[in-house]
Amino acid sequence: MVRNFLIGLVLASIGFIFFNLYNTYEPKTELNGIAAHYAAKGAEEIGAANIVTAIVVTYRGFDTMGEVTILFLTASIIGFFLKLSKKDEAKKIIHHGTSELLITSAQILVPIIFLFGVYVFMNGHLTPGGGFQGGAIIASGVALLIMANPNRQINHHAILWIESISGVSFVILGLLGIFLAGGFLDNRFLSLGTFGDLFSAGAIPLIYSFIGLKVGAEISNILNKYQKSQKES
Amino acid sequence: MEYLQLGRISLIISFLLIIIGFWGILSQKNIIKIIVSFTILDTGINVLIVSLGYLKGRTAPIIDASVSQGPNHNVLNAIVDPVPQALVLTAIVIGFGVTALLLAYAMKLFKAKRTLEINQFNDLKW
Amino acid sequence: MVSPIYIVAAALGVGFAIGVLGKLGKNFSGILALLTIGFMTFVSSEWLYAFYVGNQVPTYIFTAGFKPPISINLLMGPKEAFLTTMVNFIGLLGGIYLFFNFGRKGRNAYVVYMVFLMSLNVVIMTRDIFNLFVFLEISAIATAGLILIERGNRAVGAGFKYIIATSIISSILLIGIIFAYFYTGTLNIDGLVQAHLSTTATGGIAVFLIMIAAVLEMKPFPANGWGLDVYEGSHQGFSAVVSVATATASYYVLYKLLAIAGPVGSQWDYYLALMGAVTFIGSNLLGVKQKFARRLLAYSSIGQLGLLMLILGLRKYLGDNLDYVVLGILITNLFAKTGFFWLAGIVKAKTLKEWAIIRRKPFFLFLMGTFVFALIGFPPFPSFFAKWTMVMNLARQGGFGWIAVILIGSFLEAIYLFRWFGYAVKGEDTYKYDFNIRWHKITPIVILVAALYYAGYLTSQYTELGRMIDFIPLFFVLVLFAIDFLPVAVKNTIAILGMGTYFYFIYPDLDNLRLIFEVIFMVGGILTLIAGYAYKGKRSGFYPVAILMYAGLTGIIQAHTTLEFFFGWELMTAGSYFLIIRGKRSMPHALSYMLFSVAGAYAILAGFGIANIGQAFPSLDIMNNIQYFPNWAYGLLLIGFLTKTASVGLHIWLPGAHGEAESDVSPMVSAILLKAGVFGIVLALIGMSKSDFDLSALAYTLGWIGALTALFGNIGAVFQEDAKRLLAYSSIGQLGYIVFAFAIMTQLGWLTGFTYVINHFLYKAVLFLTVGAIVLRVGTHNMYEMGGLIKKMPWAFFAVLIGIIALSGVPPLSGFTGKWLFYNAIIEKGWYFQGVIAMFAGGIAFLYLYRLIQTIFLGQLKDNHRNVKEISIWFLIPIYTLLTGILVFSYEPQWVLKPLGNMIAQYFPNNGLHWEGSYAYSHLGYWTGAGVAATVSVVFVIAFILLKIMTRKAHKLEQFDIVFSGERPERPETTHIAYNMYAGFYKAVWPLTVPLVERFWTWMSDLVHETAGFVRRIYSGNGQAYMLHIILYIIILYFITIGGNI
Repeated sequence: MVRNFLIGLVLASIGFIFFNLYNTYEPKTELNGIAAHYAAKGAEEIGAANIVTAIVVTYRGFDTMGEVTILFLTASIIGFFLKLSKKDEAKKIIHHGTSELLITSAQILVPIIFLFGVYVFMNGHLTPGGGFQGGAIIASGVALLIMANPNRQINHHAILWIESISGVSFVILGLLGIFLAGGFLDNRFLSLGTFGDLFSAGAIPLIYSFIGLKVGAEISNILNKYQKSQKES
Repeated sequence: MEYLQLGRISLIISFLLIIIGFWGILSQKNIIKIIVSFTILDTGINVLIVSLGYLKGRTAPIIDASVSQGPNHNVLNAIVDPVPQALVLTAIVIGFGVTALLLAYAMKLFKAKRTLEINQFNDLKW
Repeated sequence: MVSPIYIVAAALGVGFAIGVLGKLGKNFSGILALLTIGFMTFVSSEWLYAFYVGNQVPTYIFTAGFKPPISINLLMGPKEAFLTTMVNFIGLLGGIYLFFNFGRKGRNAYVVYMVFLMSLNVVIMTRDIFNLFVFLEISAIATAGLILIERGNRAVGAGFKYIIATSIISSILLIGIIFAYFYTGTLNIDGLVQAHLSTTATGGIAVFLIMIAAVLEMKPFPANGWGLDVYEGSHQGFSAVVSVATATASYYVLYKLLAIAGPVGSQWDYYLALMGAVTFIGSNLLGVKQKFARRLLAYSSIGQLGLLMLILGLRKYLGDNLDYVVLGILITNLFAKTGFFWLAGIVKAKTLKEWAIIRRKPFFLFLMGTFVFALIGFPPFPSFFAKWTMVMNLARQGGFGWIAVILIGSFLEAIYLFRWFGYAVKGEDTYKYDFNIRWHKITPIVILVAALYYAGYLTSQYTELGRMIDFIPLFFVLVLFAIDFLPVAVKNTIAILGMGTYFYFIYPDLDNLRLIFEVIFMVGGILTLIAGYAYKGKRSGFYPVAILMYAGLTGIIQAHTTLEFFFGWELMTAGSYFLIIRGKRSMPHALSYMLFSVAGAYAILAGFGIANIGQAFPSLDIMNNIQYFPNWAYGLLLIGFLTKTASVGLHIWLPGAHGEAESDVSPMVSAILLKAGVFGIVLALIGMSKSDFDLSALAYTLGWIGALTALFGNIGAVFQEDAKRLLAYSSIGQLGYIVFAFAIMTQLGWLTGFTYVINHFLYKAVLFLTVGAIVLRVGTHNMYEMGGLIKKMPWAFFAVLIGIIALSGVPPLSGFTGKWLFYNAIIEKGWYFQGVIAMFAGGIAFLYLYRLIQTIFLGQLKDNHRNVKEISIWFLIPIYTLLTGILVFSYEPQWVLKPLGNMIAQYFPNNGLHWEGSYAYSHLGYWTGAGVAATVSVVFVIAFILLKIMTRKAHKLEQFDIVFSGERPERPETTHIAYNMYAGFYKAVWPLTVPLVERFWTWMSDLVHETAGFVRRIYSGNGQAYMLHIILYIIILYFITIGGNI
């Protein structure tokens, strides 16, 4: 097969490129460049114990806004891509029942999962985690709900409002950075507080909370669309 | 063994994952399998990003008890590179968005022709 | 000044808010989105204006309150301001165009579109490579979504291919970025530039991965099947935005990242140029084979991307002019391609042939024409100036191969665009469906067209050379477009008055050489226009294009610089193309005319480029002082001009183009237009005569070309059944004489040449006007369907008689003047062999001339011509004015030839001919116009009287004197003497009539089509194959660029 041979050749060539990369790889022993700056000054400048959060929310906050936008775009696109007709919307999903285990665990676990998600994004500046992680955890709770009962109605309006308001708030917080501090998405227009406290690191807990809510809503929205698309057949 | 330190091992693993991803993308006919191959590729790249930020013997870039906080503390010598960890977060989210969209496309494609064979979708050509 | 960060904030803020606000209604969301895009446009254009006025410095926008590289920063400089303004402007128009298409998908579609535009803004402005990656991804995802506003499975398939392809590309980019970060510790583009990554072997691979990803975003051939599918499969309204806005952003990404790869002139420049060249030529080649409009636009779009990549790769050659060239190409592509896509969205015709429906609404044809000519790079569009600047700079720096690449690629593009346009103008319109006019879809297109013309004017005013161009004639053309609704007589009068006034004002500034040609162009133009009074109705679209041709003709006469000359040349080509295509069966001939003209124009452009090397200022005088590669420069210029004079090998367009044209257009394009080529040849030969180099071989070749053209043109004319084609072939032959005469490069030779120029103008105008007027009366071109018209049209008969006497070169008329000078010149020069050929050709001319007058006017009148009248008075007026000219020139040739001789003395020693009164003396003898004419007239009159007396008893032949011996012939024309009149002669010369040249060009055309048909099979439509192409492209390029050098 010419095709298989070609693919083999391609993979070998990619391997060759990687081999060259590997050969020239010299493990780092020192932080250099911007990493050194973040490590040395990050805590002082931003006030967040979690340097990664300082980078994600403030130093490279603009990227983060882009990430949020990507999720938002995906949800919007899937929204009109998988839109159901009125007739399909009214249908029920036919399924062969879900396991008792799943239903029970959903009842018990979902509130805890939501709570855990909120904890993760509110403490993003102190501990591992943050808005995206917390949002994803919340959405996993929604996923569990859907799996336990495929016909479960997810409150679409609630999702929409949460998504919209947290998104707009994120942008407004970013703009406040221009007016009250050094630039777009600067977190320092609120006091940096005591290092290591929940309410510290300026606006980071606030921003990350909105991101968390938005991400959670966004992913839930996508899951909801996938769920409903099963009605169509 | 100097050659088998963690940084190098994870680098090799990431390369292997990427190559496996490419293999799946190029050789699998089923669209779902291709999408899975894409996620393998993404994972490989994510591992690559993190492993390039790895420094031997250091801890996570969170300034807490594990990073000595004495008067002479030097975070510079205690933590791994935080930047790749921030970047990988973005990469993961992007990967998620793309995968979600690809799956939606796969649904529509399946609905159009009742098949997921990728070589059935060549209406546009030449 | 509003900070550009508000572009992002506004788009995202409104986008997020629409989630809730959208409850107020779909249209509300749409209008809110449009307002936001309007705001984005306002912000970017405000910056652009500030830069344009000149008091603004490039400004960095810092995010998060930290300086880079610590945090992400954006840059708003002049380039960014321009590009974002363009993206937003096109985006805004696109939003209006697609308003209801988005609406059908719900409010989310507006949001996605708005965010899509915002992401392109950031891609252009950001100075952080990872941020660039993120926003590229946003734009890719948004694109994958917006593809879906088109209904149907094709769009879904295209979107899927798009998203998997871009995912692979962004994976590669991401690997490159992370390694670049690993080696340098920064993500800031400026920081990466300073790190000189590519100088180290380790960084080289990172740079390679980043660059190859940026290149792949530009959809390089052949790893671009996915891009083609997107352009074809998505809604045309959105394809336009992807094709131009995304392409603009991708170009700028490449531009920014190229700085990382190395300084100007680094190795990557070369690779880029190479990949761009392959893409530009490859895409346009495949476009030639394409039958479907949408996909053709896709090929064209990708070709333009290749051109941009090529230009960027050639920045070493272009130096400071890089921005000017890119701006010209980019802005033309932005406006014309967008408009074209949107037009395709309105017309909805699938195949190119179906586009014939567009001319049901002539305004749409005008729009399409504007786009086609802009894309090919005709004046006055920005791409014209960009192309000119590019070729001049490339030639100056020695990039001749690149000039060839650019011109070949552009030529391939011209092939399919003009074929398409030909279908639209002249194709058979037998389709039942129609297309609708919706104002929100047309308004954006009209705005684009206006912007295109205005941008062209601005672009020209940007340079010193451009400011010298006289735009008044062009403005007059626009006025004529505007008054196209008026009846023909009014427009004709305005056109004649306009040309007359213009001529009156410019003629005092002209030297004698230019005056001769200007008189032929302008006075000839007015005379042929007079014939236009014979037409009824509106004659829609005729006057703008006729005047466009004359504007071009006067432009090349008035030109002081090579740019002005080329500007005029292209206008003339465009105008004459439209004139020619107006004929009933002219579509294929107009196409071949256009293709030869475009190729010829490119040869001229390249010739000017070479002539310009080492010159301080590109005035037209540089042709007299070409310092480098003179054989190439003059050779290219001559080839270019020879396409216009239809010399042998380059002549196949002429018979059809002139033969099928309208009755008063044939003289315009034959008697007048061909002289433009002669004027060019004269300029080139003047330059050659002054050159310090030995260019005699070139002149010698030219002489042979002229002699052979004379022979083959005349032989071709002999075997024509169609009267106008006969005259057309005759023009080829006559132009051959002219070229031959000028190539002799002596005073006598040039005198001959000018005599032939004037003669050919006079008698060919007379003959074409008369035959054209007859055709209008009898309704056929075929000579065997005419006959005996002498009784019905005595005035026409007399005109043709005088015309053919003048043409054949027998005494007493001016043709003999030419012949006498001609043989003197040949003998003096010693070109005997060529001279014999020319003489033989002259003999052949008698055959077709006799055929012309005999078959049309003598013999039996056809039954269906019993009621035809004399030709229109409006034709007779110019015809007899021209006849007067012939008689004056015949009897008093010294009035013209003496000053001509003095003028030629500037270039050649004045030793060939001298005048004593009306007597001309050469080394070989003497001759007098009036004397010869008088003698011959007396002899003729005596012979006429004698013959009359001797044949007074002859029986007058009546129609019933002919019998068919009881047979009823299947093809009645075969029994007509006029049909296949010279069958006997054919047996003698048939080897010379084998259409070898036609066969050669057919073979060439087939070769191009077959190649395209074969190559395009790589676009199998399979998404997986496309991914394989991408990865193979990466690997092959890896081995080319880096290979084993680790």
